Amino acid sequence: MANFNVEGAQNVEISKKIPCEKPLIVQLEIMEQYTAVHKACATLPKEIREVECLKVLYPTLFRKITDQDLIAGRTDFLPIGFGCVTSLGGVGHYCVFKKLRAFQQQLDKTEWKRVDALYDYWLDHDLKTQFNKEVLTEDTLGMFIDCEYPMIATARLSGMMLDYPKLLDKGIGGLRSDLQERLKKQPDNNFYKAGIQCLDIFVDCASYLQQDAKEQMASADTNRQKELERICQALENIKEKKPSTFHEAMQLFWLFALLAGVINYGRLDDYLGPYLVADLESGRLTEEEAYRYIHSLWTMIENRRTTVNGRIIVGGKGRKHPKEADVFLHIAMKVAKNCRYVEPQFTLRFDKDTSEDIWDEALDALGAGATYPTLYNDDVNVPAVMYGMRVDEKTAEQYVPFGCTEFVIQGQSTGTPNICINLLKLLTIYMNDGIDPIDGKRKSGPVPLKKLEEYQTFDEFYDGYKALLDYYLDLSVKAQYHSYEVMNQHVSFLFTSLLTDDCIARGKALLDGGVRYLGGTNETYGNINTSDSLWVIRDLVFNQKKYTLRQLHDAMLANFDGYEALRKDCLNCDKYGNDLETADTMANDLYEFVAKGVRDRGIAIGMQYFLIVISNNQLNTEWGNRTAASPDGRLSCMYMNPANNPQGGANKSGPTAMLNSLAKFDAKYHGGSVQNIKFSPSMFNENRAVIKSLFKTYFAKGGCHLMVTVVDKGVLEDAVEHPENYPDLIVRVSGFSAVFVDLSPNIQQELLSRVLYDK
Amino acid sequence: MINKYKASENRLSIMEIERFAVHDGPGIRTVVFFQGCPLHCTWCSNPESQKRKPHLLHIKNKCIGCGRCEVVCPQGNISIQDHFPVFNRLACVACKTCENICPQNAIKFVGESVTASEIMEILLRDRDYYLNSGGGITFSGGEAFMQFEGLMDLLIQCKNEKLHTAVETCGQVNLDKIKQAFPLIDLFLFDIKHTDKNLLKKETGANLDTILTNLRYISSKNTNKVTIRVPVIPGFNFNENTLREIFLLAIENRIKNVHLLPYHTLGKDKYEQLGLVYPYPHQQMLTKEELFSFKETGEKMGLEIRIGG
Repeated sequence: MANFNVEGAQNVEISKKIPCEKPLIVQLEIMEQYTAVHKACATLPKEIREVECLKVLYPTLFRKITDQDLIAGRTDFLPIGFGCVTSLGGVGHYCVFKKLRAFQQQLDKTEWKRVDALYDYWLDHDLKTQFNKEVLTEDTLGMFIDCEYPMIATARLSGMMLDYPKLLDKGIGGLRSDLQERLKKQPDNNFYKAGIQCLDIFVDCASYLQQDAKEQMASADTNRQKELERICQALENIKEKKPSTFHEAMQLFWLFALLAGVINYGRLDDYLGPYLVADLESGRLTEEEAYRYIHSLWTMIENRRTTVNGRIIVGGKGRKHPKEADVFLHIAMKVAKNCRYVEPQFTLRFDKDTSEDIWDEALDALGAGATYPTLYNDDVNVPAVMYGMRVDEKTAEQYVPFGCTEFVIQGQSTGTPNICINLLKLLTIYMNDGIDPIDGKRKSGPVPLKKLEEYQTFDEFYDGYKALLDYYLDLSVKAQYHSYEVMNQHVSFLFTSLLTDDCIARGKALLDGGVRYLGGTNETYGNINTSDSLWVIRDLVFNQKKYTLRQLHDAMLANFDGYEALRKDCLNCDKYGNDLETADTMANDLYEFVAKGVRDRGIAIGMQYFLIVISNNQLNTEWGNRTAASPDGRLSCMYMNPANNPQGGANKSGPTAMLNSLAKFDAKYHGGSVQNIKFSPSMFNENRAVIKSLFKTYFAKGGCHLMVTVVDKGVLEDAVEHPENYPDLIVRVSGFSAVFVDLSPNIQQELLSRVLYDK
Repeated sequence: MINKYKASENRLSIMEIERFAVHDGPGIRTVVFFQGCPLHCTWCSNPESQKRKPHLLHIKNKCIGCGRCEVVCPQGNISIQDHFPVFNRLACVACKTCENICPQNAIKFVGESVTASEIMEILLRDRDYYLNSGGGITFSGGEAFMQFEGLMDLLIQCKNEKLHTAVETCGQVNLDKIKQAFPLIDLFLFDIKHTDKNLLKKETGANLDTILTNLRYISSKNTNKVTIRVPVIPGFNFNENTLREIFLLAIENRIKNVHLLPYHTLGKDKYEQLGLVYPYPHQQMLTKEELFSFKETGEKMGLEIRIGG
């Protein structure tokens, strides 16, 4: 077993969380009670244990309804509790030790012992810690996010998008009678028993929130009183009945999502559209009121601050109510343009039939600096998902991107990325006889490596690197699969399972055999630095024979100090992103090797799919900071390339050339790949027709995605100097948006390095 | 396809090929900047385009005076004086050894000899973008007509590929060449810098009669094929009278479109980098706003005026 720090940072957290509204001592009491129940239920079935623990948390952890909320539901998270993901609370029955220690510091010293007792109990019971103990190794597989390792693993259930259409069609009452019917046939089925109790929790929470709304009415003005009355009434109605208004539909989906602990929300336009249109047509709602409702939802999503999630998807193939959905889409587009939040990650799916109106609205929002919508091309992605996930067209049409870009099938699959691999770090390790130049530790496992002098051809060299990759890819699929096994051993994710096919039909929680498509994803990093490096080796060492591998490697170990001419040759070699066959073919070859390797292993182990995602958050920078100098001329500890884009500054041939390079990868081998492009406002806004045809051509050529930032470089540079003047300057980091001044200096530098297309 | 291009081994001296150009003709375009120009406008922002040869640019603010270039120059053409290299540019054979050694990328050569087929290979890479945006290829410079055989070769190939073609020309061209090329060119971006013969001669070396003859020929054949472009230069033509004269010339030739290009000094650094002195007396850059009143004037005269390309 490896040594790991249980207090290590578990996830990306850039957006600042809103602190819990309960007094510290109450928070401590809740955590103690949770722990006591967890302990007391140790011998009970995991489903029952889970629901008993949930009862400790809910409705207690609901916050007060705030004055601008038009529907109810905000929750707090404590360092101990239950959840699905690391960005809100933790995974399964969790303890976030670092946060628990920080919590302890705030208490009076006389209470510290109480926290110590909790800490000790959870060392043996925190789900993620148990996974870490079983899976992590001394030298190859590290903990999320420990950048010393070439590969890191976690256990989490991120990216779940629930079957909200089913929830709205049936209502809580409908779900309840389904479960009761089935329980009659299988009276011992704990999943059904616990599921019914979950619905009771839902009803309790609705009542709890009603109570809050009633109490607030006393001091509210007339307008607000009416709103609170509506909130109260809707909460009452959705306890049992199907929703009959837009408000009720929104309230039902939202409350369920909160209790499930999911942080991505699926195709809102399609499932809320019909309620919206019915309200507008009957005169129950004006368009302006609808705007306020959607804006209110946006704010509530923003306030959850998950940093890289909060997906709302609109548009695209396979919508059941496209006409009504478009009404929602148009209003949502305005909200996204005006409110400039980091979240929700507003996502537009489109195909060749998408109307010009929608295109123009999307470009307007982007041109205004909203960074949304982020654009997904269904004409490419639907067939790609069919192949990648091995599903039929109808199913593939329900793909939805979550988090940084990973795809799942709404309501039908898991796709959590529990593995990240740094391809570039592995190349530097491979060239250095298995030793990581960063810290002098061996990280090549049992893979035999040759001396650099022994490679006679590029293919021999490349094959040796692939052998090391193979070893790691084997580890990756085992760790991903095992993360599901460990989670399933302890928890059922009951709320999530209730709205995931085919859990109810099979009577099983999702990881217990309930989910229709057990998928997963593997985030790959440093892809382009690696392929550019391989091209340098092929070109300078084996084609031109200008340097030997040893000379190149000596220069890398010296961080090119004293090897400036050699580094210049490395930098001058063809680079991906310039529409050159040389570097682009190398990039595609490496991509296909890794992507197919991962996919094949997933199928072999019995998963529906296991696909790479070329997403990005700030990990390309942080991991780059712990990756040695590389043959592409990148210096030691420098950021790595973002997502599927060139290293900052390497693409020098304009946007068409870059987009041509991007479009060369066959999308069917990955489960999401982020493509960034950055324009100055004048270029983007004064040449709108040209920009539109630029994008459309790229998509027609096979581009799967585009994430657009419109910003002045001068503004970013000024924001580095005077952060106080730019509290809400939003930029796309790659897989997500962030407030620029919240990012660390090295990430800001990485963003500044990316090529900006100006006029 | 490839074989067809193989046939055209005409070599051209090219300054740059710019992809995704949005200012020299409609839509998304690739602009091929030719070297060689019959004029020598004193405000020229591309001095390295005037002569057909590789030019050495030394970017002094990047240079650290390390002296490596002095050591490696096989011709012994570089000497370090006062911490900076001094180049014997006349004797330079453009072997680029100094460019390759420079750790700061402070030395750069501009101007390359490439074949028409090599150029076509690049032009065709953005074909879909041209077709979808109503764009195409623009030949600029320098003066593209100065390399007439190469230009014709490229024009023919572009037309074989059904690409929209534009040529940006100073108009100082033999009429026969214009006649030959005319059917292959969809749009002339035709520079008119002044209507005063003597002033024009003095500041640019151009012959107004030649220019007007060519303009008349093209507009008589197809007036829709011409856009007049006026670099608006303070101290030269930045005044109501001159611009009004140019507008009248457009009207006389039934030309609808006139582009006013505000004077900029972005090319100034290049003079220093080339070891030259910027010949035009100091003038402020013009803003778009400063041209608004001329735009109005032109529009009142029934023209379509655009500021910027």
